[in-house]
Amino acid sequence: MKRSTRLAAALAAATVAGLLSAGLGVSFGQEQIGVPADLAALPAAPPPALQIGRPEQLSSGRHLSRWTVVRSPTIAHVEPSASSAAVAQLSTRAPEETPNLLTVLQARTGSDGRVWVEVRLPVLPNGRVGWVRRASLGPYQTVNTHLVVDRARLRATLYREGQIVLSAPVGIGTEAWPTPAGEFSVRSVLTRYASPFYGPVSFGTTARSAVLTDWPAGGFIGIHGTNAPQVLPGRVSHGCIRLRNPDILRLAQLMPVGTPVTIR
Amino acid sequence: MDSFEHSADFLTTVDRDGALAETRSHAERTLSRRRLFGMTLAGAGAITIARTAGAHAAAGLPASDVDILNYALVLEYLQASFYTEAERSGALTGKTAEAARIVGATERAHVKAFLKLLGSQAVKRPTFDFQGTTEQQRPFLKTAVAFEDLAVAAYKGQAPKLQANPVLAAAVGIHSVEARHAAWMRQLFGITPAVDAFDRPASRRSINRVVASTQFIVSRPKLTGRKKPEFTG
Repeated sequence: MKRSTRLAAALAAATVAGLLSAGLGVSFGQEQIGVPADLAALPAAPPPALQIGRPEQLSSGRHLSRWTVVRSPTIAHVEPSASSAAVAQLSTRAPEETPNLLTVLQARTGSDGRVWVEVRLPVLPNGRVGWVRRASLGPYQTVNTHLVVDRARLRATLYREGQIVLSAPVGIGTEAWPTPAGEFSVRSVLTRYASPFYGPVSFGTTARSAVLTDWPAGGFIGIHGTNAPQVLPGRVSHGCIRLRNPDILRLAQLMPVGTPVTIR
Repeated sequence: MDSFEHSADFLTTVDRDGALAETRSHAERTLSRRRLFGMTLAGAGAITIARTAGAHAAAGLPASDVDILNYALVLEYLQASFYTEAERSGALTGKTAEAARIVGATERAHVKAFLKLLGSQAVKRPTFDFQGTTEQQRPFLKTAVAFEDLAVAAYKGQAPKLQANPVLAAAVGIHSVEARHAAWMRQLFGITPAVDAFDRPASRRSINRVVASTQFIVSRPKLTGRKKPEFTG
């Protein structure tokens, strides 16, 4: 709108408002519109109970990871297509008897017109990914935490929104039973079991020992406490990541299930 | 004209054709079962919690208003979570992506305002499983239309029951925003934005039934256990 047009419109509006406040009728062509003289005396609207602020834009999501669980038994494929090669069979439960958690990488519409989701798989060789039908999966959840285990420095560091919130010495696998490197997920947390060897808290992960494949439940790598804190830090385990009990208890307060784990 | 251009019919269609859900009866059985276990669910669960808290109404509001505000909060959670997941998925494009971003930001602002007003009496956010509808353009739009129509009908159904005028003023302010969203999503979906001369309100019972039928509200996966670890050690 041109400036002159805006000005004319404003003047017209002011004139009408003035007439209204004076309790006068306004003439539009032949029609006379009557306005009650006490219009201005109407009560003011009450202030709303809710203070609605500005729309809330999403954060960048740079530190967010998504996870889900297997809702119904399914097969992971190399491509988002049922006709592509199968990578792994996925059950609804992890060996810990908790839901089978998977980290979500991306989603795509497959050739069948349905949504397929690329996930990290808890299978050997470590690091495998596969495509699963969205319909086989449960709700998406997000975490803003990330655990990094540095095998050279024998240290675990937990990040939240990219900031360090915990750093602790760890025990890792010996040369014969190494802790595998790669990208994994925390998929369960176990407590109140009777086993001092594992300390008060154990996190289950999707990492698997490439050596101890005949271990009960498949040789999954845990992150847990210990009854032998004097050997930490060190290369002392069968592949699990051991922390001193005060550290694992602190980690249990800070690290939600679903947190991605990088072992390097 | 397609019959589901009318808002109430659209909800029925969404409910019937299975695009969002399996069967209503299964959903209702699930809802009843979850009630038995005392789980926090939208609709009935939220109402139960709100009534428990009603004796200590937030900011001096009548207990029945707190109840209605919590009911509205569940619907706001539903919408905000839906748009947030859709935006995060990155699957939407063009004007639909822009609408999801803008409407989502608004719904999150609504949630924030409800939480601020209700404080400790606010119901917790349920867990939502949108079953892939956030990851494809057409299912997203169809669901968005249903949600927005649902919200408009729900606010309209509850507004006459509000006792405190400031709460009514807030509800009316949100109601018109939801109606704008509904019109926007309808246009993007390709149906007439405003077709009726009069919008019918929806009862809480009917809203609960539609929400339950979608099976979008689920129990949160329980990922803690007490089994003795069998990790490699």
